[in-house]
Amino acid sequence: MKLDPRTKLFMVFVVSLIVMMSAITPFLWAIRLSITLIPIILMILEKKYSSALKFLLAYASALVLMFYFLSEQSEGLIASLLIGYCGIVVQFMPALITAWYVVRTTKIGEFMSCMQKMHVPDGIAVSLAVVMRFFPTIKEEYSSINDAMRMRGVMLGGGNVLRMFEFRMIPLLFSCVNIGEELSAAAITRGLGGEVKRSSVIELKLGIADFFLMAFLTAATVIFVVFKYFL
Amino acid sequence: MENTSKKLKAKDFITVGIFAAILFAVEFAFGMLGYIHPYIVASYVIILPLASGIPMMLFYTKVEKFGMITILSILLAIIMFIGGMGYLGAPLIIGAGVIADLIAKSGQYKSFKKIVISFGIFNLWICANYFPILVTAESYRQDLIDGGYSAEYANNLFAAINVKTIGVLVVLCFIFGCIGAVIGKAVVKKHFEKAGIV
Repeated sequence: MKLDPRTKLFMVFVVSLIVMMSAITPFLWAIRLSITLIPIILMILEKKYSSALKFLLAYASALVLMFYFLSEQSEGLIASLLIGYCGIVVQFMPALITAWYVVRTTKIGEFMSCMQKMHVPDGIAVSLAVVMRFFPTIKEEYSSINDAMRMRGVMLGGGNVLRMFEFRMIPLLFSCVNIGEELSAAAITRGLGGEVKRSSVIELKLGIADFFLMAFLTAATVIFVVFKYFL
Repeated sequence: MENTSKKLKAKDFITVGIFAAILFAVEFAFGMLGYIHPYIVASYVIILPLASGIPMMLFYTKVEKFGMITILSILLAIIMFIGGMGYLGAPLIIGAGVIADLIAKSGQYKSFKKIVISFGIFNLWICANYFPILVTAESYRQDLIDGGYSAEYANNLFAAINVKTIGVLVVLCFIFGCIGAVIGKAVVKKHFEKAGIV
């Protein structure tokens, strides 16, 4: 299934909006869960089974822990660590997984042409596109730095927190700056930043699936807000 | 880079994007610690400026025109929104970015003193994330407890961050921003200027 980038951006917006407001009643939880399920289903449709499964397991276990073992009264170290884990997963994972899905399935050309259609200023569009593309790069570079350190027997910077930080940060910055230079060279050869209005190979069109999903998301948001604040 | 034109080029936008991603990665790594104890949330004002000092000082060496720091703050606001921090802080984040940009501009992006102050101001975006906690204190507390946090966590959070302490936090944030800038500059000098990257 092919979704329009605009629908995907809208989905990111809605998911982060709903995740931000806490669910109180079971009904609100139901809305929240169904919103969370959308990116999972979409991922399955894109044949990213393992990520979908991993996320589903993490989310489900966090939910179970939260409802059966933690309450207003829980205190102590283990409980607070558990709260930490559940808090991160329940609060942030839905938004993160949606963002991850969007990053993974949107081609940079699609994204740019979508931004152009929405009349977002070029500066913000280009920077956002770079941010989107750059997270996987940072992760990759970081793991190769770790590999290189392990190969030379540098483990954790000798237990010194500051050196630990320095040993990872500096090489990472080095490679990021270099990649940035290459990226700008590549972008400029493709005519980014030219005087004329750029055209795009990709023609974006909203399909039936897009309208359906957008309607569903809007409805979910409205119902959520109404039930939380007005009833 | 010898170009004197004031308009931002594609290269500048790409630089901003890269540093926004790095900044967010740093923020994310430390931000997750906050779930362990609410006092860590309050101590972001110390940890984050120190940690982000190095990449930001490297970023400042690449800034030559007005707008880059502003765009960086806009990106941060967008990322913070997606990260679930809410929209209340967003105008403050962008405001801090614009002011930081203006201060750095008054030193032509070269004066180190101005850069230190500018980075201190820029760091106020961290405090902007506390903003929802202050403004909507009562409902936020209820939200936390309903959302599965213990009352202990919520109480500690509000003991650390409230209308009285926010002044202290803002000042701390600024001071540690300046310290972070000095440390960052030293590290950049040690590693990057020697290597000829800057």
